[in-house]
Amino acid sequence: METRVWHYDGRSGERRMPIIALTADQRHFVLEGDGADPGPYAFTDLKPHGTSHHERAFGLKGRPGWRITFLEFPPSEIAVQLPKQGRYGRWIDRFGLWRSVGVLAVLAALVVAVTLKLPPLIARLIPQSMEQRMGRLMVGNMGAYACTTPEGEAALKALAARLRQGDGITIRVVNAQMVNAVAFPGGQVVLFDGLIQNAQSPDEVAGVLAHELGHVAHRDGMESLVRQYGLSLLLGGFDSNISGYGNALLNARYSRKTEAGADGYAIGHLQAANVSPRPTAALFARLAKQDEQSGNAGLLLNYLSSHPLSSAREQRFAASAVKGAAYTPSLTPSQWQALRKMCADGPPAPTGINF
Amino acid sequence: MTQQHERGAFEFTGSWREYAPIAFTNLLLTIVTLGIYNFWARTRTRQYLWSRTRFIDDRLEWTGTGGELMLGYVMVVLVFFLPLAAIQFVMGGLVMRGTPAAAGAAFLLAMLFYLAVLGLGGVAIFRALRYRLSRTYWHGIRGGSDDQGFRYGLSYLWRTMLGGIAFGLLVPWALVTLWNKRWNAMSFGPHRFVATASSDGLMGRYLLYYLLPIALVVLGVIAGVAAAATARNPAELTQGYQVGLFFFGFYLIFFVLLGLVSLYFYAAYFRQVIAGLSLGNLEFEFTARTGDWLKLMLGTFALVVCTLGIGSVFIAYRNWAFFVRHLRAYGTLDLDQFTQSTTRAPGQGEGLFDSLDMGAF
Repeated sequence: METRVWHYDGRSGERRMPIIALTADQRHFVLEGDGADPGPYAFTDLKPHGTSHHERAFGLKGRPGWRITFLEFPPSEIAVQLPKQGRYGRWIDRFGLWRSVGVLAVLAALVVAVTLKLPPLIARLIPQSMEQRMGRLMVGNMGAYACTTPEGEAALKALAARLRQGDGITIRVVNAQMVNAVAFPGGQVVLFDGLIQNAQSPDEVAGVLAHELGHVAHRDGMESLVRQYGLSLLLGGFDSNISGYGNALLNARYSRKTEAGADGYAIGHLQAANVSPRPTAALFARLAKQDEQSGNAGLLLNYLSSHPLSSAREQRFAASAVKGAAYTPSLTPSQWQALRKMCADGPPAPTGINF
Repeated sequence: MTQQHERGAFEFTGSWREYAPIAFTNLLLTIVTLGIYNFWARTRTRQYLWSRTRFIDDRLEWTGTGGELMLGYVMVVLVFFLPLAAIQFVMGGLVMRGTPAAAGAAFLLAMLFYLAVLGLGGVAIFRALRYRLSRTYWHGIRGGSDDQGFRYGLSYLWRTMLGGIAFGLLVPWALVTLWNKRWNAMSFGPHRFVATASSDGLMGRYLLYYLLPIALVVLGVIAGVAAAATARNPAELTQGYQVGLFFFGFYLIFFVLLGLVSLYFYAAYFRQVIAGLSLGNLEFEFTARTGDWLKLMLGTFALVVCTLGIGSVFIAYRNWAFFVRHLRAYGTLDLDQFTQSTTRAPGQGEGLFDSLDMGAF
C-alpha cells in the first residue's frame, strides 16, 4: 500500500503529493513522484509541527518551510519512526502534565514563601548608617513643624527614659492634627500633636509611644519600605523619592504579625516601667467608637486605618494589666501639661500635609 | 495554479470546545510557573488559532516558539528598561542638586527620555508585526521584512507628535500613514505588501470622537446649572444625594458614549486601511462594521464578567476569530511564482527585539 503525503519544499508554494517510502535501512525515507525532491531524508531530522496528536505535520531540520503532512494515519512501520508531537512544551511533555503541575506548584509556593520572607532579611542587611540617613531625610520636612519647648522636651525625655528607649532614637512632636504616630527608619519617631490632644492621660501616649518604639526595635519601617518598593529602594537611590517613602510609612499597613510584635513590645515595656496598660486599651476603644460616628472620620481614620484595630488587640492590652499592681502615672501632672502645651505656640502644619 | 476567489478566501474553523483544553491548561501552567509559562501559552494559542485558519486551500501555520518570546522579553528588559531606569536615576540626582543648571539638564534629559520611549515604542510595533509575519507560514512560505524598523521608529515619533500638536486633529492622518509605512516594508513570499490607504473620509468620524467630550461637558454644565436654578432650595440640593447621582450618571454617559464613538471611528479606520492593502494580485477587505465591533466587545465583557474573569482566557480566541471572519481576499495568486521569502531568515541571529510583542496587526 502506498502512502501519499502533502509536501511543500519550502522554496515554492506549490503543493506536491509524493509517495513516502522507507529506505532499506528503515531509518530514512524518500519522496517519490509529483516533482518532489526524492531525498533520502532521515526520520531523526523530522520536527513535529502539528498542534495536536491528531495532526501529523512535520518539518525538516535546517529547511524552513519544508513540510510533509499525513492526511490519514500513516502505516505502522512509518508511524513508529515519526517523532512525537509536542504539546505543552518539551520539559512538561517529558514529565507529563499533572506531574509537572505538581512539581511547579511546589516550586511556586517555595518562591512565594522566600519572596515574602525576603523583606525582613534585606531590611536587616541595610547598614545602620544608611538607615539613619534615610530616616533623617524622611523626617526632613516635618522637622520644620516640630514643637520645642524646654519643659515639653524634658517631659518627652522622661517618658522615653521610663520606657527604656534604646540608643540613637529621636522622638519629636509635630504640630499636625492627625491622630497618628509613626516610626521612620533609623529610630526617628514622630508623635503628632493631634494624638496628644486626643489622649486623656499620659499613659495613653506612653502606650502609643511604646508601640512605635517596638516598631523601631524590630526595624519594621525599613521592612515595610523594602516590601513596598523592593530593590528599587536600594538601586534607584532613595533620595529622589524620599517624600514618597515618607508617605508610604505614614500610611503603612503592617501585617497583623508585625502589629502584634510591636504590641507585645509595648506591653512588655509598659509593664517594666510600671505604667498601666488599661488607658492604652481605652484609647483604642475610644478611637474605634469615635470613628463609627461620622464627621470625625477624616481625623481619626488615619490612626485606625494604619493600625488595624481589633477588639482582640484592645483586650490584649487590657488583659495584660496585673490586678492590684501599684501602677504609677507615666508623667507627673506638670510634665503632662508641658507635653500638651508643647505645640501651643508653634506654627501649625498645613492640613493635608504631604511630607 | 490560478484561483479566483470572490468570498471566503479566509475561513476560521476552530471551535471554543476544541480550544478550551488549551486555554485552561495554559491558565493552570501559567499560574504554577508564576507567569513564566505565559510565553509558551501564547505560542500554543497562536499555533491553534493559525492552524484553524484556512486561506484558500491550506491552513496557516505558526512556527514561533515560547523560548523566542521569553528571550525577547529578557532582552527588552536588559536593553530597554534598565537604561531607562538608569536615566531616571540620573535625573533624580540632578533634581536633588537644586541648581538651575542641573534642573535644566534634568528637564532636557526628561524630554529625551520621553522621546526615546515614544520612538522605541514605534520600533516595537514594527518589529512585532515583522516577527509575526516571519513566523507565519502558508504553503511552506513565510513573510517578513528586511527593514530593521529604526526609521519607522523615527517616523512614528514625529508623526505622533505632529498628530498631537495640531490639537490632535492630525491623529487620523498619523494613524493611516504609519499603517501604510509599516505594511509597505513587509512582504510575504516573493511579494511586497502595498498599502495605499488614505485618511480621507475618516475625519468626520474622528471629529465626532473629538468634539463629543467637549459637547458633553458643556451639556453637563448647562444641565447642572439648570437643575440648581430650578431647585427651590439650592442648599438642599448640594447636600443631597442628587449631586452624586448626577455626577455618576454623567460619568456613565460620558464614557459609554465616548467608547461607542471611538468604536465608530476605529471600525471605519480598520475597513479603510485593510481595503488599501494588497499583496501581489491579492486585495483585502475587512467587513466589520461598528455594530460588529460592539457585539464583540459586549460579548467579551459579558464573558469575562459572567465567569468572574476566568472567561478572559478566551479573549485572544474571540479576537482572532472576529478578525478572520471579517477578512476577505480577492484576486489571484500564482503558486508557481509564489517562492520563499528572501527576507532575513528568522531564528538565530535575528534581532531579539523581534519578539517584543506589543500590538496585533
